[in-house]
Amino acid sequence: MSGNITSFEFKKGVIIGRVEEAPGVYTYTIRYDGELKGVPGQFNMLYVYGLGEIPISLSNIPEVRGNYTLIQHTVRVVGAVTKAIVSGCDIGSIVGIRGPYGNGWPLKDVKGMDVVIIGGGIGLAPLRPIIKYIGLNRNKFGRLNILYGARTPKDLLYKYELNEYSKISNTKLMLSSDTPAEGWTHHVGFVTDLIDSVDVDVDIRNTVIYVCGPEVMMRVAVKKLLSKGFRKDLIYLSLERRMRCGIGVCGTCQFGHYFICKDGPVFRYSDIEDYFMIEGI
Amino acid sequence: MSINSEFFIGGLKDFEVMIKVLQRLFNDVRFFGYRVSGDRVVFSELGSVDELPLKVSDVQRPNYYRLVPGFRFRHASVSVKNYLIPPEHTLLTVSQDYNILGYGDDLNGNVVLLGIKPCDLKAINILDRIIYGKNPIYTRRRDVIKAIIVEECLEPSENCFCSVVNSGPIVKSGFDIAYARLTEDIIMFKYGSSLGEKVLSRVGLKKADEVHIKKYLELVDRATSVMNSRVPNIKDIQKVLKERISDKGLWEELSLRCVGCGNCNYVCPTCFCIEIEDRVEGNYSKRVGIWTGCRTYTYGLVAGMHFRHELYTRYRHFILHKFLFYPLQVGDIGCVGCGRCSTWCPTGLDLKESLSRLTEVRS
Repeated sequence: MSGNITSFEFKKGVIIGRVEEAPGVYTYTIRYDGELKGVPGQFNMLYVYGLGEIPISLSNIPEVRGNYTLIQHTVRVVGAVTKAIVSGCDIGSIVGIRGPYGNGWPLKDVKGMDVVIIGGGIGLAPLRPIIKYIGLNRNKFGRLNILYGARTPKDLLYKYELNEYSKISNTKLMLSSDTPAEGWTHHVGFVTDLIDSVDVDVDIRNTVIYVCGPEVMMRVAVKKLLSKGFRKDLIYLSLERRMRCGIGVCGTCQFGHYFICKDGPVFRYSDIEDYFMIEGI
Repeated sequence: MSINSEFFIGGLKDFEVMIKVLQRLFNDVRFFGYRVSGDRVVFSELGSVDELPLKVSDVQRPNYYRLVPGFRFRHASVSVKNYLIPPEHTLLTVSQDYNILGYGDDLNGNVVLLGIKPCDLKAINILDRIIYGKNPIYTRRRDVIKAIIVEECLEPSENCFCSVVNSGPIVKSGFDIAYARLTEDIIMFKYGSSLGEKVLSRVGLKKADEVHIKKYLELVDRATSVMNSRVPNIKDIQKVLKERISDKGLWEELSLRCVGCGNCNYVCPTCFCIEIEDRVEGNYSKRVGIWTGCRTYTYGLVAGMHFRHELYTRYRHFILHKFLFYPLQVGDIGCVGCGRCSTWCPTGLDLKESLSRLTEVRS
């Protein structure tokens, strides 16, 4: 029960795999002690002893295996806890895990629609479970267009499986790099430029769009999508704010009248349009 | 619980009898309320009736608070929040190998809130709707409250405007007993629940006569009209807030004297935000909840960036949350009109003034 004295209790997770995705970015596979049924777009609070907790989205669909669950989190070193995970944890290390929290991407009520996924940098992490989900439930969705960009080609995540994404039937993968690089044959510029590309191949009025990336990038994406005629009630964004609890207690993740942790982190654009373009709201 | 128009009259002696009745009614009962401690008032467990602020009045203005001899105690920098969400509270104790060694609050037994004010009662009502059932400490401390005794305010302080936000000066529901001091030793009592009715009948008070009731209602009316003249109509304020939500210049002007200290957040009875810190104390770590506030620098700060770097954005959140967002979150204004944020602002930034200024600039 929420509000129970145990609501801040975490469970142990043992790190069993680590992949270096990009400079300073790692994906951890964690054996969670218990059953963790999470859906794409949800997040866990990751705890490092003596330091604190941070919200990190699920970067893969959790695999429940009896009394334990395999989960994946992609972490970029930016603050103290992420630094402690990356510098202080090895295979076999324990972290605390509390979750899953938040609402997740709406995937059930968009059946048959075309899908556009727009990711910027580390923003692809919470979008990756959608791609996996669509791969496993291909006939439930229409065409899939994935627009993904990073500062440099090196900063792209999941490079080892990007090719697999484009092999999902009826799927287009469009990549971009903010800066030119040797051997880079894809777009040079912002990922949001790709929204204007003639290659985007979906039925604009019947397409659901999932976006995650830096907030500046998401604002540009929304403006472009709206000017193209995409529906504002079908644009979904995953937001972040300072967050200390994940369960609507600490109050620090407030965004307008919403709590990112419990009302989000995924928001329908039409629900947040009064706030989203306002600096510092 | 509906409004009860039955009034009883008594004195300080009857007040003491009421406390004794309450003590007998519950096992292991602890009284929490405003307590005089030296030359200041704290909110904590009460040892005896002598500790209640029955012989002081407070004088409040922006950035000014003094206690003087009298019988019109309004409130202090502390509030019922100090009981419900202590400034520091342990949420979890963890061993180095990630075992849970313990949970939070050890508060047990029955609690009676004694002498809280109408603004406190409204704050409980708002906090109930936003964190009850979510925050384990709040939920536990709320659940053990067995009776709520409210002292109504018949003379507001200079910073009070509870009538504007419908939280005072008298209470209508959500309490067991309320009392108001007509004079130093004439106290008007009323009950708001069957428990309160039972207690008051055991005290053996006499019914208030017309003269007393007339004086009570006159004082309430006067207090209400004084406070209503201090702040514009809430609907008008809300309309401007919606229109000017992105008017950076206006918010910079309003927040000009804000220093971002967060004192307003800490004294506000409905500000509930907490930071959660690890405190390593040997071979274990305590996960501790600590008050924080939207006016402080770290509110909006994340590793790698800051969502509310400019002070005006944090000041704006404070105002918007109380007057626009709380209504969307819990269906009610989040400001209880107590004026604490003005009294304890180190630069005397006065909420009443800011709200008035907002409606002046209305386009």
